[in-house]
Amino acid sequence: MKLQLHFIDYLIIAIYFLFVIGIGFLLKRKIKTGNDFLMSNRNIPLWITSLAFISANLGAQEVLGMAANGAKYGLYTVHFYWLGAVLAMIFLGIFMMPFYYGSKARSVPEYLKLRFDEKTRTFNALTFAAMTVFSSGVSLYALAMLMQVVLGWDFDVSIWLAAGVVLIYTILGGLTSAVYNEVLQFFLIVLGIAPLVFIALNKAGGWEGIVQHVDDAKLHVWKGLSNPSSNPMGVDAFGMVFGLGFVLAFGYWCTDFLVVQRALISRSLNDAQRTPIIAAVPKILMPLIVILPGIVILSLQKQYQGFALPVNANNQINYNMVLPVLLQRLYPSGILGVGITALIASFMSGMAGNVTAFNTVWTFDIYQSHIKKNASEKHYLYVGKAATIFGILISIATAYVAKGFNSIMDLLQLVFSFVNAPLFATFFLGMFWKRTTGHAAFWGLLAGTSTAAITYALTTAEGKGGWIANIHSFYSATGQAFTIAWVSFLVCFIVTILISLITEPRPENELIGLVYSLTPKQRDKSKVWYKNPLWLGILILIITIIFNIIFF
Amino acid sequence: MDRLLDLRFVIGLFFLTVGALLVVYTSFSSNDEQYVMINGSCGALFTVFGILMIWLSRNRKE
Repeated sequence: MKLQLHFIDYLIIAIYFLFVIGIGFLLKRKIKTGNDFLMSNRNIPLWITSLAFISANLGAQEVLGMAANGAKYGLYTVHFYWLGAVLAMIFLGIFMMPFYYGSKARSVPEYLKLRFDEKTRTFNALTFAAMTVFSSGVSLYALAMLMQVVLGWDFDVSIWLAAGVVLIYTILGGLTSAVYNEVLQFFLIVLGIAPLVFIALNKAGGWEGIVQHVDDAKLHVWKGLSNPSSNPMGVDAFGMVFGLGFVLAFGYWCTDFLVVQRALISRSLNDAQRTPIIAAVPKILMPLIVILPGIVILSLQKQYQGFALPVNANNQINYNMVLPVLLQRLYPSGILGVGITALIASFMSGMAGNVTAFNTVWTFDIYQSHIKKNASEKHYLYVGKAATIFGILISIATAYVAKGFNSIMDLLQLVFSFVNAPLFATFFLGMFWKRTTGHAAFWGLLAGTSTAAITYALTTAEGKGGWIANIHSFYSATGQAFTIAWVSFLVCFIVTILISLITEPRPENELIGLVYSLTPKQRDKSKVWYKNPLWLGILILIITIIFNIIFF
Repeated sequence: MDRLLDLRFVIGLFFLTVGALLVVYTSFSSNDEQYVMINGSCGALFTVFGILMIWLSRNRKE
């Protein structure tokens, strides 16, 4: 399938590029130190940090991938939002942010250094740095592939053009520029895709049209979870709640520096706490933009011709083409340019988020910590800029590697679950159990990550995994990922507890501000409800529960 | 110059530009009626959103 763009569409894409680069140029004169470049001098307003918080996650995998999951798994996909994101975001805001922000840590690995020791920080910094540049590269690869398949653009030109634009605006304006662009990209994605969903839904006959033409098994959130074989996702309630809802979601939203960084640049602790909680509001509604198109297309396929999804080289349905097919069939030239720009924005948003997280971790947690400790702010500014260029070059290289090896995208997803799931166990124990020691945290992390790799090597799903042997086959790759997550979490959790009990803990006075039970609680009763993270969190929790009940 | 650093202004200007472009394109377009309506209403929506954001940036608290 090919989309035919006209002059007006190209003009809109060009205007977008002009604006994102313009933002970088405007912010350039405000960037004078490493702190300005990498931390935005902790001076970003709440509404911007909140939107950037979810926009940093609104990359290619989210926009195209969730529409694909909507078509493949139906409404069960909303668990990634209503169960898998919202609870973790509220928990991060209420319980974990006071330690991240209050400890003055500039990054997640730096918190690990303050709470545990240097080796735990370095382990996390290295795995995180590798993950972010690979993720950025895969995002770039996916963008270039999509542009090649859908628009017929040259693969190399797409890669270098997108990477070049991201490089210009991040190197000029640093994190502030990336965050500003993420907010612009957020509005563009929402306003560029929302009309498409509205038109598609209208054509399908509204929600009634969906109920009439889409398999009922895909229109529930909880009903089929009693058994993996009775829902299209192939997951049971335990895997969903513990694997996704607890381990994977908390592991990602509470410990991944890519998103946590957006809250850390807030103006105050209260703003930092409210950042993920306020971000949860659009997150609850995001399935309307990213999942609903996948369900609507199933209804359109039954009622009209021309909405069939293409097949890939393995003769399997290519669910990633849900949005491109809808754009082709329903958007005329003009608004089509906005829709394509929204897709480009989602890729660039994902890439810039990863690159800015990478340059911060590289500069503070690897370079400053191990290579040059007491250099000037100006020096770290140059190192941050050099890290940005280096990160983008590695991303480009990864994109070309991904072109040659199709499995690299699956591998990347797995690496995420290998790293983030055990990491949450380390943070959970570190923040809420004062007895946890540095040695225990390090070996627990190593054991958890190794267990994830071994579990993958001993099981298969959809023909993947089982490098060593196949002792169990899962109904779906999603079910396998959820299981790997909770198994590695448990191993890290248990190993960390056991080693903590036989090693010397740090004195309690060194842990004030880093551990929950040793930190004085701040109770500001004068705050109105919308400024109080706890009340705000409870309200959003209630709304989420209501959504779950409605679509049970 | 500082006005240009207000993100609401930048976002407003972007959507105002794109919205106005869509509205102008619609008036010169010879597409069928349904497509003209889609471009026109989206253009109008973007324009209104753009104006709203610019208005919000004018009323910011210093």
